Amino acid sequence: MNQNTDLLTLRSVSKSYGTVPVLHDIDLSIKDGEFLTVLGPSGSGKTTVLRLIGGLEPLTSGEIRLDGQDISRMPINRRPFNTVFQDYALFPHLTVSGNVGYGLSVRHVPRKEIARRVAEALELVQLGRFTDRFPAQLSGGQRQRVALARALICQPRLILLDEPLAALDLELRRQMQEFLKSIQREIKTTFLFVTHDQEEAIGMADRICVMQAGHIRQLGTPHELYYKPNCEFVARFFGENNLVAGKLGSVQGELRSIETALGRLVCSIRDQPHLKTATDGASAFAAFRPEALHLADAKDTENRFSGTIADMAFAGSSTVATITAGADHAGQRLRLRMPSRVDGSTLKSGATISLAFAPHEGHLVLA
Amino acid sequence: MTALPRLSTVFLAAITTLVAVLLYSPLAVPIVSSFFTIAHGNVDWSSPTLATYVALAENHDILAALRTTLIVGVCTVILSVVSGTLLALYYHSRRSGRTLLQFIIFLPFLMPPIISGLALLIFFREIGLERSLLTVVIGHTVFVLAIVYRTVLMRLQSMSRTLVEASYDLGATGWQTFWRIVLPNLSSAMVGGAILAFALSFDETMITILVTGTQSTLPVRLWAMMRLGFSPDINALVALILMFTVLLCVLAARFLIPRQVATERT
Repeated sequence: MNQNTDLLTLRSVSKSYGTVPVLHDIDLSIKDGEFLTVLGPSGSGKTTVLRLIGGLEPLTSGEIRLDGQDISRMPINRRPFNTVFQDYALFPHLTVSGNVGYGLSVRHVPRKEIARRVAEALELVQLGRFTDRFPAQLSGGQRQRVALARALICQPRLILLDEPLAALDLELRRQMQEFLKSIQREIKTTFLFVTHDQEEAIGMADRICVMQAGHIRQLGTPHELYYKPNCEFVARFFGENNLVAGKLGSVQGELRSIETALGRLVCSIRDQPHLKTATDGASAFAAFRPEALHLADAKDTENRFSGTIADMAFAGSSTVATITAGADHAGQRLRLRMPSRVDGSTLKSGATISLAFAPHEGHLVLA
Repeated sequence: MTALPRLSTVFLAAITTLVAVLLYSPLAVPIVSSFFTIAHGNVDWSSPTLATYVALAENHDILAALRTTLIVGVCTVILSVVSGTLLALYYHSRRSGRTLLQFIIFLPFLMPPIISGLALLIFFREIGLERSLLTVVIGHTVFVLAIVYRTVLMRLQSMSRTLVEASYDLGATGWQTFWRIVLPNLSSAMVGGAILAFALSFDETMITILVTGTQSTLPVRLWAMMRLGFSPDINALVALILMFTVLLCVLAARFLIPRQVATERT
């Protein structure tokens, strides 16, 4: 397994249902052995990407390459990929072992070997005691693990997971996230995981591919997406964020200024050459995370502005203040997140405060 | 839920009992009287006996009719289950002409049987097919096809589409998917449909009278016996048919009503 070689490549893949386009010219490379999450709101085309790769739907145009070979027209049952479906799609008339062994049995693998490999796979997903149960006798989490064992027993090159955790409750979902990640590390198989839940994506993925309206908006590590969103959509969709509209100003080394309703702000443009070359006066947003915003003190010389606290919300480990800022302290809503204190915050709704964020914690996205 | 006042509960129970008695007591008469002898048109209530059943067992006409009914029933079931399942699969595959096809399947079931029977009779004469058990089987199949078709189609439509996708995804061919995934999931619907088809074929009278040759099925035989006058073995026959039909209904219900899914464990 070499994380740097491409396992699967999508080249200008498009898909339409009738006259309705759902994917526009998608280019995507999946590396061997990585955990890639496709993240997007419903209707973004993320499930379609998975179905095209799995062979459940034909491409409208473009091609899919596996190890450099075009497999766009390879029938679904020949592709070395297996899918974990959103509704698990367990066969109701077969037992757990019947379900898990199905992929081997249709390939006429000898019975003894099937029995051995089924036992191994069920051991891996910790369902060794459930071999003779029927799917209707299992809980949601157990069904999920049967579906996973059934997919990985065929030793596919790529496992496709279509929002497999969506039907589980929160606690179980967290457990399954860790479980999936540990299994993926153990069997060293490439996972393509589709979800609309960004928390899930951050927790599990090596890389995340953000989709919207049939386009890929950004592809990168969770850290890159969080701190260097390349467009307004990613900046707003991925995690909580404060966006302030303005016009780009001058470049000073790795910083660039932007004129906004909060005054002149200075943000980092490190490793983002397109922001360095963007023309002066171009429309853009200053973006800074709620946890980067803080009460200003004497050391803060840049990115200072005042605002009025509209609301304080206690959220367990942190407390979130909603602040109105800008002209007359109206029009611009910001969020400030700070660690909670046992004796409560001294900040009260209606108070006017002075705020700031460090230039290297602010970023720019083009409008 | 608030409990109904006591008085109205009693009232409801009384009405229900009355309706049940009115509807079903006529059925009890032949069953009860089948255990007594009839002399001069009156039931002799003094001594219960199985004489009518013995007489029935010695009535060769009845036994022959019963055998004919069973042969016709079995052939009809086989033909209608196979073709009904294939037609349901065709409809489900969303190929062209499916709406028209479904209309044609339902037509004979919805038309008055005398019209279906006459249409078949004219058709058989036109193509020069002698009236025989074969024409009876064809007639019954055309009639009961809708029931089997509908039963299987409903099961198909309630089956998750991803089951088939999962089978292909795991490397199965179309043929393997059909035999190992689709068919097993349809089997209980097919059995239920078969039982209903058999029950319908068993008491089908009108079409049978029109398209049969020299052999008569049980209901046709019964009909003929009634016209000649009341004979005590008819009571025994009715009692037996009733028992058999109830048995079929219970069986069909077992196969068609989804089994109680085991409670989910968490």
